Amino acid sequence: MNGLGALVRLTLRRNRWFYLAWVLALGAMVPATAAAYETLVGGLAGDGALDLMAANPTMRAMLGPPTDLTTPGGFTVWRVGTFVATAAGVMGLLGVVRGTRADEEAGRTELLRSGVVGRHAPLTAAVVVGLAACALLGLVVTAGMSAVGEPVVGSLALGLGVALVAASFVGVGALTAQLTSSARAARGLGLAVLLAAYLLRAVADAAPQHSVTRGLAWLSPVQWMALARPYAGERWVVLLLPAALTALLVAAAFALESRRDHGSGLWTVRPGPDRARPGLLSTTGLAWRLQRGVVAGWLAGLAVLALAMGSLSGTFDQMVREVPQLAVVLQRLGQGTDRLVDAFFVALLGLVAVLVAVVGAQLWERLGAEEERGHAELLLATAVPRTRLALSHLAVAVVGSLVLLVAFAVLLAVPESVSRGDAGPVGSTVGAALALAPGSLLVVGLAVLLHGWAPRLGWLVWVVIAWSFFVVWVGSLLGLPGWLVSLTPWDPLPALPVEPMDWPAVLLVTGAAAALMALGVWGYRRRDLRLP
Amino acid sequence: MGVIEIRGLVKRFGSTVALDGLDLVVEQGEIHGFLGPNGAGKSTTLRILLGLLRADGGSARVLGGDPWADAAQLHRRLAYVPGDVTLWPGLTGGEVIDLLGRLRGGLDERRRAELVERFDLDPRRRSSTYSKGNRQKVALVAALASDVELLLLDEPTSGLDPLMEAQFREVVRAGSTDGRTVLLSSHILSEVEHLCDRVSIIRAGRTVETGTLSELRHLTRTQLDVELAVPVPTELVSAPGVHDARLDGHRLTCQVDDGALGDVLARLSPLGIRSLASSPPTLEELFLRHYDRGGGREPRP
Ligand SMILES: Nc1ncnc2c1ncn2[C@@H]1O[C@H](COP(=O)(O)OP(=O)(O)O)[C@@H](O)[C@H]1O
Ligand SMILES: [Mg+2]
Repeated sequence: MNGLGALVRLTLRRNRWFYLAWVLALGAMVPATAAAYETLVGGLAGDGALDLMAANPTMRAMLGPPTDLTTPGGFTVWRVGTFVATAAGVMGLLGVVRGTRADEEAGRTELLRSGVVGRHAPLTAAVVVGLAACALLGLVVTAGMSAVGEPVVGSLALGLGVALVAASFVGVGALTAQLTSSARAARGLGLAVLLAAYLLRAVADAAPQHSVTRGLAWLSPVQWMALARPYAGERWVVLLLPAALTALLVAAAFALESRRDHGSGLWTVRPGPDRARPGLLSTTGLAWRLQRGVVAGWLAGLAVLALAMGSLSGTFDQMVREVPQLAVVLQRLGQGTDRLVDAFFVALLGLVAVLVAVVGAQLWERLGAEEERGHAELLLATAVPRTRLALSHLAVAVVGSLVLLVAFAVLLAVPESVSRGDAGPVGSTVGAALALAPGSLLVVGLAVLLHGWAPRLGWLVWVVIAWSFFVVWVGSLLGLPGWLVSLTPWDPLPALPVEPMDWPAVLLVTGAAAALMALGVWGYRRRDLRLP
Repeated sequence: MGVIEIRGLVKRFGSTVALDGLDLVVEQGEIHGFLGPNGAGKSTTLRILLGLLRADGGSARVLGGDPWADAAQLHRRLAYVPGDVTLWPGLTGGEVIDLLGRLRGGLDERRRAELVERFDLDPRRRSSTYSKGNRQKVALVAALASDVELLLLDEPTSGLDPLMEAQFREVVRAGSTDGRTVLLSSHILSEVEHLCDRVSIIRAGRTVETGTLSELRHLTRTQLDVELAVPVPTELVSAPGVHDARLDGHRLTCQVDDGALGDVLARLSPLGIRSLASSPPTLEELFLRHYDRGGGREPRP
């Protein structure tokens, strides 16, 4: 394999920020949870209250089975372990597809292969770098957990488990990149595998005790870290499963790569219509066509989350009757309301409002990608004015994110509405969600402004989003100063129904969002188009 | 008044000066070759003419309008094919043609069908499965099937095979006889030679030469490399139409004006030609020969 060393260095350079961001975000979450153990759990652990909560089927479905909740380490494995392992799988998957199919699709690999590198060198380089990133994440987790005082052996099992689960999905990505001819399809297929693995273990974990269904969890790669029981009598041999799977998948990927032509996948692309349907023949029709998959994906994910959380809320009152201390934790999260379900919904909607901002920003940023890929050049050379092109993408971003927010609120409240036989909760939850919507639109507005005037600073949007996540997730628990916590786009908005409606604030933030968007579109009309 | 009128156009990208006082006039109904080596500023010029980039200095008019301020209205009357066509991977070629045609204001259905046939394009395939040449064909069909006054083509044949290139020439020529104006950029002289009425040559963001092909005849000499049975007679060096001759025993290398080619060969053949190779000069050679002396910017008289 010629040129492999150089190619590994090139892959490292092109992907270092991608991997570093993932590793730092995920690597920090694990020790941060352990460090917050006392704050989060307080005195709940000793008397079995937490065990009761963890035994709730919906909780088990979301987080997996608890092993040992009496230590910060065991608690961390339960609370964020499976989530981090799964997210690390996403990192491995996306990373390896970036380095293989995406480059091949863009024609970059062709340039390389016409040089001196061997046929398998790009795949090898992408896999090597992906596995190195997994190892780095494992190292960060192990070191971080040891640093906050957890047993080294357990920390090693946790770190190794996370790294190996992630490595399995490096294998999955390497394989799907051989099957499909587009990076988008390779990512979609890999993510579908990942989602299926997560759902499989959710079904297995939610099954009644002693049911054979529980055994299905062993078939889910994302569960293997937890099944190795870090901090609770480690079962090292379990970790051979992801190691073997990784080796198998990577070997299969290499075998398949030998059997396909450069630039094509093993699966052929089916032909499509020879004429465009009328719905496509406008900039908005095109923007929707390009983005509908993204919207549908988020809709599916948010729907699952909403229904899970909605049905969990129904069991609250019973849980709290049995374990009064739980109420304290939930109230702390939900800005101090008495009604627990309200508190829970407020906390959750605050989080989903940030997620919806992520979707809005992501949908808007497609316009930038259209410029960099040269598609905008084709469109703007026709009779399409720039304003129209920008407004089409903005419309998809705004409408798409609002629809997702409302859909989430409806599905969240449906279980409670059904159990109470009254549509009231649906209405009030949708109202509460819409009161937060201006904050999400403000983030989109910032993205539009930056794209119009300083497209290179687009990443600032993601700083605002990351900060908001941090505040929503842990801000109120860590006792950060009030002024710092209030630095998010959602802070001025009322948390219905716990706080009263505040029309001036809602209108003010909406107006600010609209102003940023208008300013941004104006800037977009004035600047040079960005070209490939 | 010309369809395109550019005077003293300047465009900078940071510290790079892409256009440095470029002049270009394209008259109604002509096929104008826009010739220059890679990086000369051809694509940048076209993008300014389309209002995608904003000029830093000088003036540009297209179809009597301001390319930046009147972009959308002007674009109903012109069509553009970029140098490196990228398409939306999930859309089929047919969908892209319809989309671009509609956004420009409508396609001629009959011509669309005829062009798809002529370019041997399968419109049902997804763009992700097209080669560079096929992507270019999609953009060409969309551009040529619309009823426009002006075509802006940026190196349109760089991905086409020779057969398709011939088809392309025929279509462009037919369009031109219908009164269309065409501006065609290229870095290959022979490409524009076959098609263009007039040519402008640019280098490093400036126009170095403009005129009809016969006015630029000195650019279209043929390079000869001959081996004779006898030592080469020295009087050949000063024969009419022979330039830059070098003698080396039985061997002669020289450049010959196309008009004098017959005479020169007639004088050579009685001497017994053992081998003969002829090639059109590449643009790079031309630039080396004509423009690289005296600071590189001024054409040698
Ligand atoms: N967007 C851009 N940013 C920076 N430099 C550019 C950009 N576009 C073109 N250039 C530079 O301007 C010069 C002219 O480029 P271009 O117009 O593409 O030349 P041509 O099409 O004749 O090959 C080149 O030096 C190129 O590197
Ligand atoms: Mg160019």
